[in-house]
Amino acid sequence: MLDTQWESVARVGGDHSRPARDTWVEGSPALNEISDDIARPLSARPSAGWYGCLAASTTALAVGVGCVTYQIATGIGTWGLNKTVGWAFDITNFVFWIGIGHAGTLISAILLLLRQRWRMSINRSAEAMTIFAVMCAALFPLIHMGRPWMAFWVVPYPNWRGPLWVNFRSPLLWDVFAINTYLTISLVFWYLGMIPDFATLRDRAAAGIKKRIYSLLSLGWDGSQRTWSRYETTCVLLAGLATPLVISVHSIVSMDFATSILPGWHATIFPPYFVAGAVYSGFGMVLLLLIITRRVMGLERYITVQHLDRMAKVTLLTGSLVAFSYSSEFLSAWYGGHADERFVFVNRATGPYAWAFWTMVLCNVCVPQLLWLRRIRSSPAALLPISILINVGMWFERFVIIVTSLHRSYLPSSWVMYYPTSIEIGTLIGSFGLFFTCFLLFIRLLPMIATWEIKGLVGAHGAESPQESHV
Amino acid sequence: MTTEMKSQPVYWKSLEELRQDSRRTVSDRDEFAEPLPWKRASPVMPAADGHSRRDFLTLMGFTLGAAGCSRATTQHALPFVTAPEDLTPGVPNWYASTCGGCSTSCSVLVKVRDGRPIKIEGNAEAPLFGGGTCATGQATVLSLYDGARLKGPLWRGAPAAWQEIDERIESHLRATMARRGRVALLSGTITSPTTRDLIARWSQHYDRFQHVVHDPVSYAGIRRAHQTCFNRAVIPHYRFDRAAMIVGVEADFLGTWLSPVEFTAQYARRRRPAASMAHHVQFESTMTLTGANADVRHALAPSEIGRLVLSLLDRVEQRDRSRVDPPYSIPASALDAIANRLRSHRGESLVVCGVQDEAVQTIVAGLNDVLGNVGRTFGLSPSSLQKQGDEGEVAALIAAMRRGEIDALILYGVNPAYDHPDSDAFLEGLARVPLSVSFADRVDETAAHVHAVCPDHHYLEAWGDAEPVTGVFSLMQPAINPLFDTRAAPGSLLKWLGEPSNWRNELRSYWQRNLFPLQSAERDFDAFWDSRVQAGFLRVPVPPQPSPAFVGDLDAAVNRIREDAHAASRGADEYELHLYETVALRDGRNANNPWLQELPDPISRLTWGHGLAIAPAAADRLGVRDGEIVTLIADAHRVDVPIWRQPGQSANTVSIAFGYGRTHAGPVGNGVGVNAVPLLRQKSGRRSRVVRLEKTGRSTTLAATQTHHSTEGRPVVREATLKSFLGGVGEHGAAAESLPSLWAEHQPGSHTWGLAIDLNACTGCSACVVACQAENNVPVVGKEEVGRSREMHWIRIDRYYQGAEAAPDVLFQPVMCQHCANAPCETVCPVLATVHSADGINEQVYNRCIGTRYCENNCPYKVRRFNWFRYANNPRFDFNMNSALGTMVLNPDVVVRSRGVMEKCSLCVQRIQAGKTAAALSGKAIVDGQIQTACQQACPAKAIVFGDAQDPRSAFARLRQSPRHYHLLDELGTRPGVGYLTKIRNREA
Amino acid sequence: MSRTRLVATFSDADAVCDAVRRLRARGVRVDDVYSPYPVHGLDRAMGLRRSRLPLVTFLGGAFGAVGALAMQFYMAVFDWPLNVGGKPPNSTLAFVPITFELTVLSAGLLTAGAFLLRSRLMPGAQAATFAGRATEDAFVLVLRCGRDSTCDEGEATRLLFESGVRRIEEIRA
Repeated sequence: MLDTQWESVARVGGDHSRPARDTWVEGSPALNEISDDIARPLSARPSAGWYGCLAASTTALAVGVGCVTYQIATGIGTWGLNKTVGWAFDITNFVFWIGIGHAGTLISAILLLLRQRWRMSINRSAEAMTIFAVMCAALFPLIHMGRPWMAFWVVPYPNWRGPLWVNFRSPLLWDVFAINTYLTISLVFWYLGMIPDFATLRDRAAAGIKKRIYSLLSLGWDGSQRTWSRYETTCVLLAGLATPLVISVHSIVSMDFATSILPGWHATIFPPYFVAGAVYSGFGMVLLLLIITRRVMGLERYITVQHLDRMAKVTLLTGSLVAFSYSSEFLSAWYGGHADERFVFVNRATGPYAWAFWTMVLCNVCVPQLLWLRRIRSSPAALLPISILINVGMWFERFVIIVTSLHRSYLPSSWVMYYPTSIEIGTLIGSFGLFFTCFLLFIRLLPMIATWEIKGLVGAHGAESPQESHV
Repeated sequence: MTTEMKSQPVYWKSLEELRQDSRRTVSDRDEFAEPLPWKRASPVMPAADGHSRRDFLTLMGFTLGAAGCSRATTQHALPFVTAPEDLTPGVPNWYASTCGGCSTSCSVLVKVRDGRPIKIEGNAEAPLFGGGTCATGQATVLSLYDGARLKGPLWRGAPAAWQEIDERIESHLRATMARRGRVALLSGTITSPTTRDLIARWSQHYDRFQHVVHDPVSYAGIRRAHQTCFNRAVIPHYRFDRAAMIVGVEADFLGTWLSPVEFTAQYARRRRPAASMAHHVQFESTMTLTGANADVRHALAPSEIGRLVLSLLDRVEQRDRSRVDPPYSIPASALDAIANRLRSHRGESLVVCGVQDEAVQTIVAGLNDVLGNVGRTFGLSPSSLQKQGDEGEVAALIAAMRRGEIDALILYGVNPAYDHPDSDAFLEGLARVPLSVSFADRVDETAAHVHAVCPDHHYLEAWGDAEPVTGVFSLMQPAINPLFDTRAAPGSLLKWLGEPSNWRNELRSYWQRNLFPLQSAERDFDAFWDSRVQAGFLRVPVPPQPSPAFVGDLDAAVNRIREDAHAASRGADEYELHLYETVALRDGRNANNPWLQELPDPISRLTWGHGLAIAPAAADRLGVRDGEIVTLIADAHRVDVPIWRQPGQSANTVSIAFGYGRTHAGPVGNGVGVNAVPLLRQKSGRRSRVVRLEKTGRSTTLAATQTHHSTEGRPVVREATLKSFLGGVGEHGAAAESLPSLWAEHQPGSHTWGLAIDLNACTGCSACVVACQAENNVPVVGKEEVGRSREMHWIRIDRYYQGAEAAPDVLFQPVMCQHCANAPCETVCPVLATVHSADGINEQVYNRCIGTRYCENNCPYKVRRFNWFRYANNPRFDFNMNSALGTMVLNPDVVVRSRGVMEKCSLCVQRIQAGKTAAALSGKAIVDGQIQTACQQACPAKAIVFGDAQDPRSAFARLRQSPRHYHLLDELGTRPGVGYLTKIRNREA
Repeated sequence: MSRTRLVATFSDADAVCDAVRRLRARGVRVDDVYSPYPVHGLDRAMGLRRSRLPLVTFLGGAFGAVGALAMQFYMAVFDWPLNVGGKPPNSTLAFVPITFELTVLSAGLLTAGAFLLRSRLMPGAQAATFAGRATEDAFVLVLRCGRDSTCDEGEATRLLFESGVRRIEEIRA
């Protein structure tokens, strides 16, 4: 009796909420409905689709584990590298995954600062994606070492070798700090965001193990307004920190190349170029994941076509930045007049790896042009293949930068070709397996949409009111 | 501390004070309680010099520092129960000896460390060879530890005791003698006078004894020709250092011909960029090391050589004696120019020819005679004894064997079943010999068919002597006890002669009887003997003889050549076949040596096999690619070989190297490449061998260490013409623009080591590559890994082609770590595994390396080598580092690197430290030239000079001032410690 | 002596904001409001002071920056200077990236930590019992009445009903 009354009340509350310019939640549901919808996957028996995806990704993961085990037992020689090409698939995958991660932070941090409300229903899963992508990325610098079991030597710690420190001039060491900071801050941000939702779940759950876990995770959250106000301050502060962080991380990754002496690597445009590329590929991945997830988990109501459209717009923007970077690279190579530099770019476009270069151009320059059309932007069916192509293109971008610059550098006597081995390909597949396995578990075990933010979105009448300003 | 007191007295009143003092120095970051050895001697380095950690790393970085990596080489060490007094553990002993790698008999020094020979070096004091070595010589030390060597004598393939075998052989010989049967000794060239004397005694003992000499690559034509021309059946002692004009005809005298180390030394001396620089013209059918170094090179078919020498003779004599047209592939104008140069250098020119055709050699002798070179550059006395084979006699012996006339056959240092063209006939004959004995050190193709195998010592285990050139004697002494139950071959001969004495005494008494009287320096023979064993050589004056008059019949030779020229006919689809030796494998006797198998051929850059060299144009005509297998059809013989397109190859000639296709060499050498020798078998009457090629459609991978052959117009190898250099025209050396530095310079230590490499002297012979491999325990990785561009050599010799495909210029450039002062590799290593030492060395600290390979990527010279796998004690890499025997060759001063770490040229830091320590302990400063890197020591051309840039008087510092000096990729601002000297070509443009 | 708490439950954010304003206008001190999402303007209505967390962030960042620079200088310049690529031991520019990362790291961690501590959020902490459905869809206003407080219980209840409260409970403690 009481509950029905509640509902009617809530409806009233919902109904006279004036419709926003864009409807970020379709058919403004009641607050408890929202929790119902979002909590459903956590309790309900998962769909066949979910099981299918999980089976596929765990298989891929198993392949990867096998390859890495074999490689570590036998030696890096199981890869196709040689005396001239010291990096290929390994670092390509590393940069690729780091790039993927960036969209998550961008959505959750930068869009928060810009008060983009459309981020609310996607930021949780985007952050999760960030964390899993960074995990995959961190894997590669580790296994690409000749002696991975000595990896801890990159940490400056006092030790029995005497004062044997590390080389703070090495971009690889910068990577170590950048990636670890990035992973830590992202985790903190992600977890803080989930505390109120854990509390909701705690209060929904019947007494039992679930309730105990949730109450542990919710840290005794009770929705006190005092806490809320500090909470929002904290979120803004973290967002403020994460924004320069995310830019710094990929800038530093790009410095692995930019600070080197190699023609084709040694370029000052790399940091912005890489950041743009990262966001581009990241949004490609978010699109891919959400287009699938909203379908599989039945969340079309919260992840609307409007969201897809916005993300497509960001993709188009960053894609254009990437295309611009390509052309400016060629321009400076030509205008700079350094013979070796020129050669590298001619070799890129016409040499033995031209096929990779043109694949990259097709995927990163031509394909995104389709996104000018609203029809395409608002059609999941069209966005799905595009988002896949974008990721293919961005992987090849890194491959082209790394391999074509290395395999023909200064001394022609050392020019060689690089061919990947099955082990390298298996490892790449494995990293995708790891990524999707983690993501699938995430959408089953954790609220994949920030419930409280959606509630705020639906419930807040004063959405446009100036009070919001001091969020 | 005593020596330190000598230098600057440090008085202390109490132990406390002393301890405090030592503690204070520690806090001053001098980590070592005791001063490092060289710190004691202040004259060299003031003890105040407070970088002991750096010096410590310099000292240990490559050795103790990396002990963590050296699990691979643990061996069972036993302490000496009674230590030999002349042996200090850790301190190498050097023994003078004579190289047994081939019959050239170079004087060498053997480095023996803790009782194990581990390195061969040239004997700089000895005459002729100038202190260098060749790649083969460097590698012979590894053959000592070859697991395929016989562990003891065999009788009918089964192990037997020496005594039993001796009895069987002696009884058979007695019986043979009783019924006046024929005994034959078939040997390779024997340069040992004592052994020759011993054989002479055999011929006295057995009245029907016969000694036949078989050289896989014969030089008999020269000796026959000189018999008719000068009444001396000798090979001249050529003097390239006296020649201002050198004409080489199908003779790779810098690479493989007769005495390459000696000739390279002479050649380099005469090729210094000065007015006196020799001009070198080479005629050859395939690209050889010698052709690659020539100022002018002409490719021509073997069948044209007769006409070539004739037209040269005509032009030199300025009369049309021969009435033949010059070879079609060479413009007459070029020949005129060459003839003019020859005539303008009478008495200081030299024409050498490697074609073993009596007529051609007669013409060549005639040419040298007309040019007045005989007795000057073309010495008949002293003469060379390095090749004594006579294929005619060998053929006769084989015939006799097949007729069953030979009752006992002894094979010494020969393997006819592999390297005789008529090996089938030989084996057939061998089957009819009642007793056949071989001294082979392994069951080779021949030894597999003999009754008794009485394995000879490796030359490092044996006593012996040699006389490479008349009047120059060289001694051979054992550097290690025989590893296996073997016996010196001459010892066996002595034994079967029924002599009681042993081989060493025999040797000693021969020298006492024959050589001691020829010298006057020593009165007492024992003193004489000791001094000679110590020095390793003896030079006795050869009584000067008037150079003999030329009595050859040139016209007869002319006619024979003209007949052949007419006989030589070739169909459109046919090619002339030419066989040659490669620098690495030569005649194939060392085929089981992994260092030589993995040594890239200086020209083709191929390892672990060979290809059929064919002109690129011809390959296009045939429509074949590199590695595509074709069937080579020569008369009855067919063989499948992979194609190798060789720039500079004569248009219609295909060339293939000897030394491959062994079947009984051992696990390393068996089945690598194909045996080309049977192709020499031919119908009589045709001088030029004509073959056809059939495509098979199959193809194989050829493991080349260099796959791009053009410099792409980049100034990596600088060259200039002699005229422009002497005239100071154009830029030869570095454009020495010193850009301002962004940061303060580091204070250099007491030295700044570096290398200067004279590209004009370097012939590309690759001795340095093997020397470095031996010195620094560089692993062998095998064909598959080389095919993946993962060879581990610390020094490589880049070879670039320039100009037309058919007649390219060749450039050689040895490249090792450049030891940059601003090293790009150091900046990017996250764990400081590669840093710069105070004395200018770019150090690689193996046990700190985690293998990110960032340094490899950032090295513009691509000299860093990564341990992709564990190369030691790994069955996958079953070469010398996978057996207790093979690892005996390892240099204990250099660690064996573990899997997953980067390595590269260390500038032989272990040698530098040894030199520093020695100097410091002796209290003297290091003198220039006292420290030599392995590559420098091995170089027969003295193209590599190591030294201290801070010592203005050092040869190195002076070379850095040369106008020819430049740094590789100077524009990158890496400021390398290694510099190059521009190559100078003695020709117009 | 008895001190009572009024727990007023609203179903609507505007209503609870209104209630808070009315109460505070009468000088009634509102204990706290429990809500499923941050109600904008409510903290102002309740007169909450601005958080001092930004200060923590600044200090954390400063600490990280100074610490990182100090570490790198000590290791690369003072403790063990080496010649790396000819660069001077003090390659300050090269130290910047790591300094920045550590700045962000320490600032972020300290801010998050300070927030959790200040809000007494930690594993095992118990939520306020009367929060009830506040984490779901209810807005719960809590105010304390008693002798000491300025609040007269009857009046407070009246004000609450005026601003549309759904239910009011009284908790005596």
